[in-house]
Amino acid sequence: MPFAPTFARDLFGAGVLLVPLALVALAAQVSSDGALVSAATLMLISLIAVAGVQVYSGNSGVISFGHVAFMGLGAYFAAWLTLPSSMKARMLPDLPALLSGAELDMLVAVFPAVAAVACAALAVGLTIARLDGAAGAIATLGLLVIVYSLLIGAQGLTRGSQALFGLPLSVDLWTAFVCAAVAVVLARLYRGSNAGLQLRASREDEPAALACGIDVVRRRLGAWVLSAALAGLAGVLYGHYLGVLTPRAFYFNMTFSLLAMLIVGGMTTVTGAVAGTFVVSLIVEGLRRFEQVGTIGGVTMPELHGLTTIGLSVAILAVMYKLRSGLTGYLEIDERWRRARAGRATVGAAAPTPADSAGTSGTGIACRGLVKRFGGVTAVADVSLDLRPGEILGLIGPNGAGKSTLLALVSGTLTPSGGKVAIDETDVTGWPSYRIARCGLARTFQNIRLFQHLSVRENVEVAATLNAAGAIDPRAEAAPAVDALLARFDLAELAGRPAGTLAYGPQRRLEIARAAAMRPRYLLLDEPAAGMNQTESDALLRMLQALRAETGIGLLVVDHDLRLIMRLCERVVVMNKGRVIAEGPPETVQTDPNVVEAYLGRRARGGASAAEDRAETASSQE
Amino acid sequence: MDILIQNLINALALGGTYALLALGLALVFSIMGLINLAHGELMTIGAYALYFMILWAFPFWLALVGALLCAVVAAVLMERVAFRPVRDASMATMLLTSFAVSAILQVAYQNLISPRPLPVAMPSFLGGAVEIGSLQVGMIQLLALGCTAALLLLLVWVFRYTAFGVAMRAAAEDFDTTRLMGIRANALFAGAFALSGLLAGVAALFWVAQRGSVDPLMGFLPVLKAFIAVIVGGLGSLVGAVAGGFLLGAIEIALRALLPSDLLPYRDALSLLLIILVLLVRPQGLMGRRREGVR
Repeated sequence: MPFAPTFARDLFGAGVLLVPLALVALAAQVSSDGALVSAATLMLISLIAVAGVQVYSGNSGVISFGHVAFMGLGAYFAAWLTLPSSMKARMLPDLPALLSGAELDMLVAVFPAVAAVACAALAVGLTIARLDGAAGAIATLGLLVIVYSLLIGAQGLTRGSQALFGLPLSVDLWTAFVCAAVAVVLARLYRGSNAGLQLRASREDEPAALACGIDVVRRRLGAWVLSAALAGLAGVLYGHYLGVLTPRAFYFNMTFSLLAMLIVGGMTTVTGAVAGTFVVSLIVEGLRRFEQVGTIGGVTMPELHGLTTIGLSVAILAVMYKLRSGLTGYLEIDERWRRARAGRATVGAAAPTPADSAGTSGTGIACRGLVKRFGGVTAVADVSLDLRPGEILGLIGPNGAGKSTLLALVSGTLTPSGGKVAIDETDVTGWPSYRIARCGLARTFQNIRLFQHLSVRENVEVAATLNAAGAIDPRAEAAPAVDALLARFDLAELAGRPAGTLAYGPQRRLEIARAAAMRPRYLLLDEPAAGMNQTESDALLRMLQALRAETGIGLLVVDHDLRLIMRLCERVVVMNKGRVIAEGPPETVQTDPNVVEAYLGRRARGGASAAEDRAETASSQE
Repeated sequence: MDILIQNLINALALGGTYALLALGLALVFSIMGLINLAHGELMTIGAYALYFMILWAFPFWLALVGALLCAVVAAVLMERVAFRPVRDASMATMLLTSFAVSAILQVAYQNLISPRPLPVAMPSFLGGAVEIGSLQVGMIQLLALGCTAALLLLLVWVFRYTAFGVAMRAAAEDFDTTRLMGIRANALFAGAFALSGLLAGVAALFWVAQRGSVDPLMGFLPVLKAFIAVIVGGLGSLVGAVAGGFLLGAIEIALRALLPSDLLPYRDALSLLLIILVLLVRPQGLMGRRREGVR
């Protein structure tokens, strides 16, 4: 089976990761050394939290400093349920009667506690999931501080900054192991799921992910809630292993060591989370002994604060300066094995099956009176334009004519200042680009936007699963279509390579293959031939013609390569200074005096051939 | 009425301090895409310099100058030593690098200076108050207000009319193009860091004057708040950062004045929450432009 259902593949990948976990737990058990068992238990609990952070930060690329806050909430929520009621009466006078009477077992209390954390995360996530990169990271830091000061402020519920003690010690090595195993499996399955793949795509390139029809904010929100629930679980175990809680335990130091674990191992994989947790726990244990002993070879060292912090910082810096993507890089361990095997065996090219037609029904894309102003500049002024089903329409014009802006308006990347866009009579003006994409519109970008660290295959898969969203395993469902597209665009041999490592030509082809994988009814291509030589642009021409013939797709092609445009398109629209200045079949447009003037200026009246030559030289010089 | 004006002055003074911090952060972010979590440690360095120079009986004005100089030098060194190796890396890489730098500096302060707060002996005239009509305005607030206003005006002048300032603004808009215009990247980075160090230093002086002590972690909370002010103002917008800082100051003072006493412990949480809620309405911040494709 070349392509087993992805779910089974991920389950196997998760199983592989459980082996070292089990070995550590067993070794600690066998040694029956108290310190070792305790270190192993704490390491497994940390791993739950690290796997939690990985689910969000690793897949979305937004670093979270806030997950320790969810650990704290989980720990305190569970403590409300498990503490003996006599102690609750003494330490937590403000607790509602319902809670102060409860004396649940930790194994029962963990469910409502984690559910409550998930609800809290959902509420917070409504804001945080909307923020990307920098803003998102800082907002999570704000969350950490907010929860910390709430825990300290709510004296009657948490005992403030004083320690809350007396939690039943119901966590042992094997409870921690089972929970860690659950966390690792969940994180690994999420990463491989369709939702995980979509979120990883948005990490690589958000505008491109939106253009593939991915609702990025919703994906982030889902991952955020799952990851917070895992962090909450870690908090519950942490509290019931130590028996004592303080708000300070769930603050900066904990955040720092969890992030160090994730970063050293490699944020983008669960393998990295496991590896990092092991390595950093070892470093921390070592340094802690050092801190306590205080003598090296008979020389008494001066008292050092925060030796472990220094050690962790140095580890982070070393990774940032030298490795960037951590010990494990961008591949899970099972993915690495598969790739190594695939490298040795010859890749059997799948037989190209024609992709089924997306249907040619519909009335086309209709733009009416589109206007876009940037401050005082009007980039697009009152443009009306139709793309009919199944036609190939060329859009040309000098630089700065407003062509790319027009594409952005149609695809929803920019919101028009005025006018309307309709796709098959659905008014989509002002819709976010992922919703427009789902209406059957795909696009490529002028500066290629691929999901660099995803494989070629995954790049196409992300778009192809848009049509298999209802399936149980969308990635498996879309597999035949993906194979066909890879073969058609001559990418089958490169399927396992990270997209960012491809040469320029294949990158352009991949971007078109990805757009075609959405099975759109309309496809906007922004300078697909830019930077291509004549042979490559001829191949592109044939590829696009074949695509249209097979699927009946409507194409809008923007390019400076007039030779390509004139041979490919049935109709050409010419823009200049934000307006349409000519429209018609290629032959007529070529000789239109307005067009000649736009390209050459007023005084030159050299005729159409001169205009063409001039423009062609210009494009070949680019 | 008097109380209102009093609070207004307090809000402007506190907001001004946040605005200075936020401006330094925004400057560095917009030029090199770095979220500098170690900015707070620059503040702390400035404060320690002030502490030691006063301890060693330097004249007060010299101690002030020394503190600012220290912050500037530390900022430039920080860029040179810690951030240059990751200059072209992703935002996340730079963020985590600054996170580690911040932690190392905090531990260094704890070990080399003191883990406990040290009292700074500020001259007594700073503790006084000035009477304006029926108003009692604290000397420190007044100075903070005046200095912030003067500094912001000076910066407006620098950004508008000096070659260095224009280059800086250009780089904040579009770094690559600015380089193509023949401006040296190293000079720009050093300049941006020096300026952000200076702003952190000034903020540190007011912070210490208000609280009277220095401790290794003193920079963390104000800088975190300033960061949130930067986001709310709109990441990448210098004017937005200043506006965000003042907004934060106003919210904090308003909460301090209006909150019933049993809710006062939640003050920090509430002000952060309020300001983060602004992002629910405008994820791109008050003055931020929507980046293409992100919506």
